[in-house]
Amino acid sequence: MANIRQLDKRRKSVKNVRKITRTMELIATARFKKAMDRAAAATDYTKRITSIVQDIAKSGTDVSHPLLTAHDSVDAMDMLVLTGNRGLCGGYNGSVVRAATLRRSEIKKEIEAGQMRVSGKRGVSALRFAGVPIEKTYTEFDDQPSFAAVAKIANELIERYITGKIDRVDVAYTKFLSISKQIVVVDTLLPFASLAPATNSGNLSPEAAKATGIKDDYEFLPSASGILEEVVPASFRARLFKCFLDAAVSEQIARMIAMKSATENAGDIIKALSRTYNRARQSKITQEIMEIIGGVEALG
Amino acid sequence: MSTDNKVHCIVVTPEKTELDTTCDSMVVPMFDGELGIQFGRAPMVGRLGFGIMRLKSNTGVKEWFVDGGFVQVTREGVYVLTDRLLKPEQIDGKQAEADLDKAMTMVSNSPESAAFKERTLTQARAKVRLAKSTTSS
Repeated sequence: MANIRQLDKRRKSVKNVRKITRTMELIATARFKKAMDRAAAATDYTKRITSIVQDIAKSGTDVSHPLLTAHDSVDAMDMLVLTGNRGLCGGYNGSVVRAATLRRSEIKKEIEAGQMRVSGKRGVSALRFAGVPIEKTYTEFDDQPSFAAVAKIANELIERYITGKIDRVDVAYTKFLSISKQIVVVDTLLPFASLAPATNSGNLSPEAAKATGIKDDYEFLPSASGILEEVVPASFRARLFKCFLDAAVSEQIARMIAMKSATENAGDIIKALSRTYNRARQSKITQEIMEIIGGVEALG
Repeated sequence: MSTDNKVHCIVVTPEKTELDTTCDSMVVPMFDGELGIQFGRAPMVGRLGFGIMRLKSNTGVKEWFVDGGFVQVTREGVYVLTDRLLKPEQIDGKQAEADLDKAMTMVSNSPESAAFKERTLTQARAKVRLAKSTTSS
């Protein structure tokens, strides 16, 4: 009976697939934890930067910087799209690419010039397929993006913005809100809207709140404005790094969920196949018995 | 700060908290020279340059290379914010020279781009200087 053998073969292959997806789920879980720890470790820096900015603001210095001021007219814009290098993570890559192309088609009506920078093999191939010209691609970012590599991109963008080559920078990525919620966003990073969002916390941390209670008269070396000149780019770099970290964490979560449902689905298929297989086997046995009985009767 | 007249030093990079320790005194490379910090220093926020940070304690002096950033002295401790914290031997002299050459050729046709070029130059020069001093010593 070819049917029974086929059913058994199929069940075996589905079992193998389930093993693979289960392993991938476990790997994604481990990577997610690592990425999450990294993202948590990175918050210290942004907290300190905020506290410095607050100290400067308290000293009564006028907060102004070339990165904070919007250019008079927006003629050129760079766009950075953060996707994953690998697939099998549900709608993660697709939704980022969709959001990016949507924003691009919106702005292309007004702004012609500017570069498209894409991180992740998946995004690169999807956007190429959609016929979007890509100027720069980055494939070195995996589940643990390094700050040095991100800072390089950030410095390039800062240079292009300050020298007037571009007037705006947008970043399309998946923002991590909580383990159960990640949303695709297209954020305008330059001009830097304000220093507050860079810290990723509208509220002061308890420690910072306490610090504001105590009146510390800070000494600024060389001067408050001199420090500000450095704080703004540093803050921008940290912000862009945060985008990469968020994207990395979200990718692992997406993969984890996708593989979990794939494993569950494989389980369901195995159940259904087993049932059909058992039924077919039973009917074959019954048929054989009938044949034997028929044979015995014919002889008798 | 701790009670026994020690300086609480915390070094944070954008990736993680690299160092959280106490020492008797420390020296940080400021934008215009070195600055020594002991227990009870008045609150201060300063811009760091590129150079060696030294931490002195009973066990001896420890050194690191600080890649710019800021130092914030508060009542709780000394926070050093830098992009990278390296051991001096981790600096690549050849890479630093290449960076310097690249910075030299940058175009500066506006006040902003001139300032940007100046800063890149200073950073590259400091690295080259440091790389030379570590290889010669």
